[in-house]
Amino acid sequence: MKFDLFKIGLCFVMMLGLPALSFGDDGTQALFEKANNYYSKNKYKEAVSTYNQLLKSRESSAIVYYNLGNAFYKDGDIASALLYYEKAHKLSPGDEDINFNIRFANARTTDKIDEAPELFLSKWWRVVILAVSADTLGIVAIVLFLFGSGLLVFYFFSVSGSIKKFSFFSGLALFFLGIVSIIIGGSQVGYFNSNKQAIIFTSSVSVKGSPADKANTVFVIHDGTKVNVLDNANGWLRIKLANGNEGWLKPSDVKEI
Amino acid sequence: MNIRHYILFFLLFVASGVFAQGVKFTAAVSKTTVGTGEQFEVEFSVNADGSNFVSPDLNDFQLLGGPNVSTNMQFINGKATMSSSFSYVLMAAKEGTFTIAPASIVVNGRKFTSNEIKITVVKGKPVPQNNQSNRGTQGQGRANNANTADLSKSLFLRAVIDKNTVYQGQQLTLAYRIYTRVDILQNQVDKLPDLTGFWNQDIKALQPAQFRLDTYKGQRYNVADLKQIILFPEHAGNITIDPFGMSFIARVQTQPRDFMDQFFGNNVQEVNYAAKSLPVVVHVKPLPEAGKPAGFSGAVGHFSIEASIDKNHLKANESINYKIKITGTGNIKLLNNLNPVFPADFEKYDPKITDTVTVNENGVSGSRIYNYLLIPRHKGDFKIDPIQFSYFNPTTGSYTSLTTKSFDIKVEKGINEDNVTALSGDDKQDVKLLDKDIHYIKTGDAQLRSDGNRFYGSLAFYLLLLSGPVLCAGAFVYRNQQRKNNSDVVKVKSKRAGKVAAKHLANAQKELSANNTTAFYEAISKGLYGYLSDKLNISYADLDRETIASALKTKAVSEGLVTQLRDTLDLCEMARYAPVTHISTQEVFEKAKNIINAIENEI
Repeated sequence: MKFDLFKIGLCFVMMLGLPALSFGDDGTQALFEKANNYYSKNKYKEAVSTYNQLLKSRESSAIVYYNLGNAFYKDGDIASALLYYEKAHKLSPGDEDINFNIRFANARTTDKIDEAPELFLSKWWRVVILAVSADTLGIVAIVLFLFGSGLLVFYFFSVSGSIKKFSFFSGLALFFLGIVSIIIGGSQVGYFNSNKQAIIFTSSVSVKGSPADKANTVFVIHDGTKVNVLDNANGWLRIKLANGNEGWLKPSDVKEI
Repeated sequence: MNIRHYILFFLLFVASGVFAQGVKFTAAVSKTTVGTGEQFEVEFSVNADGSNFVSPDLNDFQLLGGPNVSTNMQFINGKATMSSSFSYVLMAAKEGTFTIAPASIVVNGRKFTSNEIKITVVKGKPVPQNNQSNRGTQGQGRANNANTADLSKSLFLRAVIDKNTVYQGQQLTLAYRIYTRVDILQNQVDKLPDLTGFWNQDIKALQPAQFRLDTYKGQRYNVADLKQIILFPEHAGNITIDPFGMSFIARVQTQPRDFMDQFFGNNVQEVNYAAKSLPVVVHVKPLPEAGKPAGFSGAVGHFSIEASIDKNHLKANESINYKIKITGTGNIKLLNNLNPVFPADFEKYDPKITDTVTVNENGVSGSRIYNYLLIPRHKGDFKIDPIQFSYFNPTTGSYTSLTTKSFDIKVEKGINEDNVTALSGDDKQDVKLLDKDIHYIKTGDAQLRSDGNRFYGSLAFYLLLLSGPVLCAGAFVYRNQQRKNNSDVVKVKSKRAGKVAAKHLANAQKELSANNTTAFYEAISKGLYGYLSDKLNISYADLDRETIASALKTKAVSEGLVTQLRDTLDLCEMARYAPVTHISTQEVFEKAKNIINAIENEI
């Protein structure tokens, strides 16, 4: 009886979970491999257009974004490369390749911006919530919940005392871990929703002190620099740099990640 | 004495009186309002032969020249008229209003004084500090600003460039040249342009400027080069060389004012003259993009490159001198550092750069030597790659690429290699990161997913998430139901008793058909005891005939049935040890079955 329930549960997981993890159909996979081929033959322009073709179908993946970023980088377009690296980072925040290339490409941008000092706790917290993608965390949470449930079900029906005790506490622990991963995933989604970022695409942008053309220029930034978008008013974006400086610029100067 | 004599005498008297009355002694200035530092002239003139000229006090001004005395004598109809003038060249030094006091002169024993003149001095150019008042000889000519229009034709400055149109970085020669047909007594450079837009290098003049004869616009001039500069344009476009200015004191020929001037050779004047060259525009062409070599670093001119090495067979930890020599004409001092690629295992030091440059009218030429000190640290066969050097040749308008030799170096094991490596603690060394690059693309599955359709937070996610707890709750409810049903153990057991008995009886029947009597009776007895144990809720061990009988009695089972049961149990007990003949096994089976049925009916 117990076994049957577990089996049904597993089938349920597969039915709902597998489509979410399923890979693209053969057509897009072939296109992807074609683009990778272009890249490996140093034909970066062709690779860029082929990757873009893939993304036209309103589908995305961290891998395609990352590869497209690489192709842009090799083609010399650092700003576009950073844009797609950041997009990839958003989908797969813990990927070390993506993070490395972001750091690497940032070294080639014009602006050197020192990050404003941050409390070590918030830094750690960000590392924690960005370690694994929200989707993975979701799957982990589901699996933990299922195993936890299984253990609790076992607890309900088992007779022997020590096994009963063990299954009860371990089941509760799994549930707790599942809740933790849901909270982390939720924080990650919240982090990316609240922290809207954009990459500067105009080669030199005068950032104004207020949203008007005649306003004083507060500072000048260059293409490839990442800014946090705080606000959007009257056709102007209020942005903040990593070092804490704020100003206004036109939305045409940036592309949102 | 007749009346005519009286008349003549009278007339002469009158005339002499008229003559005496006609003496005019006036002071005049060339201008009444002057700027500080500006020169002006004061002239005191008398229309008679005067003597004992007393000059006024001119301390408010700086005296540059004078008094210059000139005397004119005219004979008209046998009558001699004389006029004299005393002039001073002054320069205003201070701002303010000053008065030139009257001068005095004695004519025919009478003293005449001139008029007073007021001079207003306004702010002008700064006052030159050098006092020129003791210049020249007294009375010999005077310096003035006159005739500048004429002078500009015979004394002028030119900034001369040897090429009007050059490429960016191509050298051109600029000469500041003086053209003159008059004698220059003194000259002074006022202003040299700062030559923005050029990197410049002066040509060192060996001696002071020498005049030579040259023809310009059909006229012969004395020409001297004041300064020669080699220029390298720093950017493309039209670059203007600002004018430069000089001031001269020149001796010019004037029209003789009278025969005395002519006779005494006084018809020369010293003239102050400031000259300025015209601005010159240099058209700078950008270097052509077509055919630009990959490693081009801005060298323009004509060069040759040579690399050499002092040894190619050595022991580890010995040093190699690797020398690159670039020779040619052009912007040698502006050459960028070469970046030769050495084997990564070599220790390399920054090059020592030695320039040997000569600058002359033909431009900058010479050589630059880069001396690299290399120390191989490990034994092996190494190769120093050739260096690519490219330059733009403005005469042909094309790029030229040069390549040096490559060198093979054989490094033997050094004697004290161990000593050196001992410094670093052990024999290991860090893996050198030779070239950094981004990480390679990811291959394999594209893992494409629809946009904005992330799994986390989707309906499927929540359903799956809930499935565990729902499963749990379902199991909990089911278990509680079960537990509730099973809570009355006696009831359950008695309910189950018939079933258990039936199972034993079925077993018995199997033994019966197998004709295994001993096992048959055992099964019957087990079935009955088991049934009773469950039904009456008495543990199997406590079961004996008395407890069964009393328990059945309390449950109001009929006496006959109890006796029957007891007989059957006895029979089974007996049959296990001795053969039973008075009753067939089939009958016993039926009997046990009936008893159980009967008890089931009654309880």
